[in-house]
Amino acid sequence: MAVFESTEKMYEVLGGLFTGLMNNEEVLAKVLKANITIMFDITEPKGQIWLDPNGGGVICGKADLKPDVTMSLSGDTCHHFWLKNISLPVAIAKRKVKTKGPLPKVLKLLPLLKPAHDAYPEIAKANGLPLK
Amino acid sequence: MTYNDLNIDLTDEQITLKRETHKFAKEVMRPAAIELDMLADPEAVINSPIYWDVMKKGYQLGYHSVFIPDTWGGMGLDPLDVHIVLEELGWGAGDLAIGMCVGCFPAFFSSMVPNEKLIDDIILPFCECEDASFIGCWGITEPDHGTDTLSPGTEMFTNPDITCDVKARLDGDEWVISGQKSAWVSNGTVATHCLCFLTIDPAMGMAGGGICVIPTDLPGVRKGKPLDKMGQRALNQGELFFDNVRIPKDYMMVDQEAYDGILDLTLATANASMGAIFTGVARSAFDLALDYSKKRIQGGKPIFEHQMIKHKLFSMFMKVEAARALSRAAFVYNLNNSPPLTQYSIASKVFCTQTALEVANDAVQIFGGIGLSKEYPIEKIFRDARASLIEDGANDTLMITAAHLF
Repeated sequence: MAVFESTEKMYEVLGGLFTGLMNNEEVLAKVLKANITIMFDITEPKGQIWLDPNGGGVICGKADLKPDVTMSLSGDTCHHFWLKNISLPVAIAKRKVKTKGPLPKVLKLLPLLKPAHDAYPEIAKANGLPLK
Repeated sequence: MTYNDLNIDLTDEQITLKRETHKFAKEVMRPAAIELDMLADPEAVINSPIYWDVMKKGYQLGYHSVFIPDTWGGMGLDPLDVHIVLEELGWGAGDLAIGMCVGCFPAFFSSMVPNEKLIDDIILPFCECEDASFIGCWGITEPDHGTDTLSPGTEMFTNPDITCDVKARLDGDEWVISGQKSAWVSNGTVATHCLCFLTIDPAMGMAGGGICVIPTDLPGVRKGKPLDKMGQRALNQGELFFDNVRIPKDYMMVDQEAYDGILDLTLATANASMGAIFTGVARSAFDLALDYSKKRIQGGKPIFEHQMIKHKLFSMFMKVEAARALSRAAFVYNLNNSPPLTQYSIASKVFCTQTALEVANDAVQIFGGIGLSKEYPIEKIFRDARASLIEDGANDTLMITAAHLF
């Protein structure tokens, strides 16, 4: 059974995670500096989450934007990735994540994602999602 | 000489990058590599100020960090930019280009798993380095394991009878490492840090591996003598011995859970880079032969005016262009997509190194007798090209590994 029962639930949890982060001035400054538009293309449940430093902010659902980096993964992998149960290289090695975009930009994302890793366990717990 | 770029979308920045890298390759790398090649003792190469001057200039220009994101102070170049740089460095000197490229391996891999210890100890100091005092090496090949180490996906890769000599065991918060890497470790005896591929779980065969950073000044690390070899003499290569070397747990960035997948990614990146570098080597041989053919007079006219030489030069030109087309496509695709299509990187490496050898061979023939002497760099380029068919995976076995992906 998938961790996220529906696309709406996934948007609520992960959309909330990113919106919270973008409201953090320090994180926002780093995201703006990196200037990378990211699309998470998610399956099971199907959905898209965008992080757009150029005005769009956090977008849940389809958007008419051109991503610099696309990460394709399942909702479960997304959940375990933010919990740090699986690292990006391991996820790529196991074919659980596919990335599209220049490698330096993908690698550049990793330090930006740290605050999301830090914040996610509490959010997952509050939403009754499994932590293992 | 530079080349006509068929990519009509190159930006002004990319054209400048090509021009500036070519300048460095022509004015710094090529003359240094020729002088270093003449030194009979490979120990003299790494004791020569010429070697360190070219490395330092390369670091100051940032060529050591082309793969590393600018977040950490690397150049953070896009894949096409990196291909342009590598081709030019290869044009200057294949051996020094490989040394510069491999030097980033510990920091490059650390940037994939940027824990705080790796950021502070490896990534940032490497990117900040301007005097080549932080140099990485790639410790994978062993005396008894060459091809064995680079065959992910094949049956033998999971055979428990075939494991690395270098093994790691976890002891509390530290990994303890013992074993030997072979004389083919690029930058082996000059490296301050080794990116070491080793075995953690022998029951899984080569697939039970791990990847870690080992500072080479730790107790228990011993370096062998630099290898005395036929070509690529400015590329330092030599053995590394590990005797109960202890590294922090955080320095093991990949364990057996993901080893084969990351090895595949490594092979895709390294082979794609070799394709780019040896496109440059092939081009350098063509350029030298073309230039010589317009100066050398036989039969009362430059040999370029003889139909057979023109025919041969055009054949060389076509091969260089084909090498660039394949190596660029493979490099740009595989550094834009993970997991990569490794068979294309292998195709690039095999095709471009073979092309470099064929073009260098034809160039020596055009030079005639003088091409066999050290008066012109073409005989060095020929020897450098020959070595490339074996390093980074022998071409024959790489092709078998790639064919497993069909």
